[in-house]
Amino acid sequence: MMNVNGFLAVARRLPRGKSALSCHAWDLGRQALRLQQRRTIRTHSRSLAYAKDLFLGQINKAEVFPYPEIGNEELEEIKQFVAPVEKFFSEEVDSAKIDKEAKIPAETLNGLKELGLFGIMIPEEYGGLGLSNTMYARLNEIIALDGSIAVTLAAHQAIGLKGILIAGNEAQKKKYLPKLASGEHVAAFCLTEPGSGSDAASIQTRATLSEDGKHYLINGSKIWISNGGFADIMTVFARTQVEVDGVKKDKITAFIVEKAFGGITSGPPEDKLGIRGSYTCEVSFDNVPVPVENVIGDVGGGFKVAMNILNSGRFSMGSSCAGMIKKLMELTSEYAATRKQFNRSLSEFGMIQEKFALMAINAFVMESMAYLTAGMMDRPGLPDCSLEAAMVKVFSSEGGWICCSEALQVLGGLGYTKNYPFERYVRDSRILPIFEGTNEILRMYVALTGMQYAGKVLTGKIKEMKKGNIFLAVNMAGRKLRTSLGASEDLGLTGKDGVVHRSLAESAKQLEQNVSLFGSTVESLLYRYGKSIVDEQLVLKRVADILINLYAMTAVLSRASRSISIGLRNHDHEVLLANTFCNDVFFKNNYLMVQLQKHAPENNDANIKKIAKAVLENRSYICSHPLERTY
Amino acid sequence: MKSTRCLLQLLRSGRTAARISELLLSPATSRLSVLHNQQQQALRHFHCSPASAKIRPVPARSVDEDKTNSTKSLATQEDLFEQVPEESKTKATFNQVIDVFTKRDIRRRGHVEFIYAALKKMSEFGVEKDLSVYNKLLDVFPKEVFVPRNYIQRMFNHYPRQQECGVQILEQMESYGIMPNVETKVLLVQIFGEKSHPVRKYQRIMYWFPRFKHVNPFPVPQPLPEDPVDLARLSLTRIANDLDSKITVYQLPCTDITESGEEIQLPHIVGIQSPSQMELLAKHNPNKPVFVEGPFPLWLRKTCVYYYVLRADPTPPEEKEEEVYDPERCFDYPLQLDLDLDRDLGDDESFDVDDLDEGPVFAMCMTSQGDQVTLNQWISGLQQNNPILGKVPTLFRLDAGIQELQAAAQPEPGHSHPPHPETQREDPQSDEDPEAVEEEESRRSHGMKQ
Repeated sequence: MMNVNGFLAVARRLPRGKSALSCHAWDLGRQALRLQQRRTIRTHSRSLAYAKDLFLGQINKAEVFPYPEIGNEELEEIKQFVAPVEKFFSEEVDSAKIDKEAKIPAETLNGLKELGLFGIMIPEEYGGLGLSNTMYARLNEIIALDGSIAVTLAAHQAIGLKGILIAGNEAQKKKYLPKLASGEHVAAFCLTEPGSGSDAASIQTRATLSEDGKHYLINGSKIWISNGGFADIMTVFARTQVEVDGVKKDKITAFIVEKAFGGITSGPPEDKLGIRGSYTCEVSFDNVPVPVENVIGDVGGGFKVAMNILNSGRFSMGSSCAGMIKKLMELTSEYAATRKQFNRSLSEFGMIQEKFALMAINAFVMESMAYLTAGMMDRPGLPDCSLEAAMVKVFSSEGGWICCSEALQVLGGLGYTKNYPFERYVRDSRILPIFEGTNEILRMYVALTGMQYAGKVLTGKIKEMKKGNIFLAVNMAGRKLRTSLGASEDLGLTGKDGVVHRSLAESAKQLEQNVSLFGSTVESLLYRYGKSIVDEQLVLKRVADILINLYAMTAVLSRASRSISIGLRNHDHEVLLANTFCNDVFFKNNYLMVQLQKHAPENNDANIKKIAKAVLENRSYICSHPLERTY
Repeated sequence: MKSTRCLLQLLRSGRTAARISELLLSPATSRLSVLHNQQQQALRHFHCSPASAKIRPVPARSVDEDKTNSTKSLATQEDLFEQVPEESKTKATFNQVIDVFTKRDIRRRGHVEFIYAALKKMSEFGVEKDLSVYNKLLDVFPKEVFVPRNYIQRMFNHYPRQQECGVQILEQMESYGIMPNVETKVLLVQIFGEKSHPVRKYQRIMYWFPRFKHVNPFPVPQPLPEDPVDLARLSLTRIANDLDSKITVYQLPCTDITESGEEIQLPHIVGIQSPSQMELLAKHNPNKPVFVEGPFPLWLRKTCVYYYVLRADPTPPEEKEEEVYDPERCFDYPLQLDLDLDRDLGDDESFDVDDLDEGPVFAMCMTSQGDQVTLNQWISGLQQNNPILGKVPTLFRLDAGIQELQAAAQPEPGHSHPPHPETQREDPQSDEDPEAVEEEESRRSHGMKQ
């Protein structure tokens, strides 16, 4: 097998023009060619991704149009992988049993190992499958059909061994990756501690250098470690003393710890609501000797390693959730079509139909976002797609949870029983908004990273405005007047150099309008709050929500445009889904942006804070009981 | 709904019901009831119209009336209460006095004076906070006599003395914080009619009282706990107002007998400390002393308790360590933005307040005996959870003066009430014509409070 990334680059250069031409999408093809040329020139200096530019009210269409593709050979290859995995999951995996016994049977695990699923992204030279992010996402669609297996595999390769993969040196890779790829060894990621979630400063686990300078001794305990019970290799983060500029400081360092080093004990598995088959437990380290050569990256450089691992693992949740929802739609639509009430089948009722539309739209949007992001990550260079990945995670985890619960609702009481798998899906999907960075924290990340970027660009302008620069003020007022008089924003998605298909033109216009309004909203937020915006979490939440919506709109527009242009089956349905979604989200965005305006009546922030304060001060609901009386 | 409830109450109260049934059912007693009615008519006639009341001031006439009756004067109404021996002044005897008055005369002659006298004496009998007694007092008024019967009567102040007296009862209830109930309302309606001054007063009370009932976010429990340890517990949580803080009883009050046979009263020591205070104390610079200061007074309604604090001087500004922002603090998002933009003035909602650093308070305690030995016991108790106290010099800065005050204050029991301000004010004037004074008094309050 050849190196996938290299292959991808070649594939992109060659067949694109031809396939576009053959599908009679002239303008799109030309555009794509031009983009191609531009991209090859600045391949390696690419540091910008798409989302950050949205904060400036710009659409960097070169990044997201056309929708990323894989080559024909690669497509064949992935189909070869997918078929046996699908067969394995439908025939060999008994999810109900795994859930009931809270354990994945050894033969199932062996089957997964044989399929190579323990080393999907490990390069072939180390014995893995060496697949790209896109293909990893595709496989995750199937793996996600069982939450426990998905989490076990994700803990192993999305975070557990990722440290070695992205920051380890050659010797470490050679030593550990082959066995990890084959599944002989299972990996775990040990970061969270009883007193430390996202807070690096409160990590208590400590690594001290032994007197001979050859070993570190690790002491401490870590909680909620997936695979903690049976992992052989662990990525452990611990505090070490480092000398910076002559001052001794505590810094985080990442270590590869083998269970065979001794001194590691793991607690009993946690009794969880969902993903019960995954082994989550506490792991304690008692004077575990770790050789100095097992430090990942530099001593004291563990913070960056941890951040990179966490940021890189998130994009695949989009395709996982989409896979899950697609499966659920099959199961529920079967029921809705056969179940009769008042001599009509359930599928004839509007409220039931609405649920299916919701599921279809959600699955479509998640897929689009996940593969767009995966495609961006697969591009040559070192693109920073952490913002996009976080957005995919937030959108799909929340959508996944809602869709699972709506699917259960279609079945009513039956869905609530253990005779059907829906209750298990609902339980399993509840973890999605929690792990891999809670959605609240990711929203903060998305909004603040963008604000930081926009702030750097806009600081000069805002300072001028605060000084009272007449020219700028007049300019601004003129622009506001123009938009309020109905001049539409043209950011180049449609029209002469357009990249969006005509049947989606209206949605594209809506996206453009949203983006330009978002740009000016961000500017006014920076003007109002400056750097103190970090404390305005309710504002940041809305900013993140708008950005996620904008990215989702972009993804569906890009995907649907491509589908029409190359004439994929049922592309008219995609157009329908895309237009419906964009129309819906357009109004939501406008509402959110109105809320972000100063003293907007829709903005209930002050009241919300007051209510929460009253409750939290008393630590209870403080209203009198409705049956109370005063006389 | 209100009116139906009133009606129900009316029927239940039985008086009118009985009268109605007398009228309707029993021919044997009908003569009696007619007589009764005649009496009422006569009474009403005698009191005459408001116009004449205007010409001839009511008090003067009623004094005349009493004199013509020749046996009773106003003073005797108070006598009724003063006949009760000092030690048996209870609710039961108070009720008895009222019963005696109501049964003595079917016309209830002099009831206004009697009610004024009763109001004054209520606190002596310890019934000034008893709603049922107030209702019983209202019941002294003859029913339906003072209800205006035509629009002219309604327009003018019908039976002003009686109305003012009714208002006075409600005023006293108000000043003691007693909420009238439906029975009160029924009585008032029966006595004075729907739109009379006392009923209006009642409505105003019922408008404001429920609104003010829970206006205090930190209500003092009624009654206060008797046990000094419980009282200390209550007071300390009240001062600290922190749900995390923990009360520790370092010593329960008890009597100990030393070897020499001497009896020693061991005082109670109750302390409070919150985790954040412990944290502050742990960070305290051990070279600087901490102070035990006190006693400071805390008033709980009419009881005063004293507490002591463990505190330190504020850290001087040059010693304060500012927390440096560490960009490698949060794994997931930046905790600070690297921007050169501040909050806009329009969104700066902070007030310009001069902050005065008072220094941290580390713990508080209450004890019945505020000497250094006892407080030292508290500090050594604290030391178990705050090892730093072993290294820090502890200075005692106690005010001696209040010790004696405290000792003097202690025998005063919680439930003996000082005389009511209203009565206090009236007392020096009591040698004047009491009725006139009362009259003026009630009119003034009538005008002011209603």
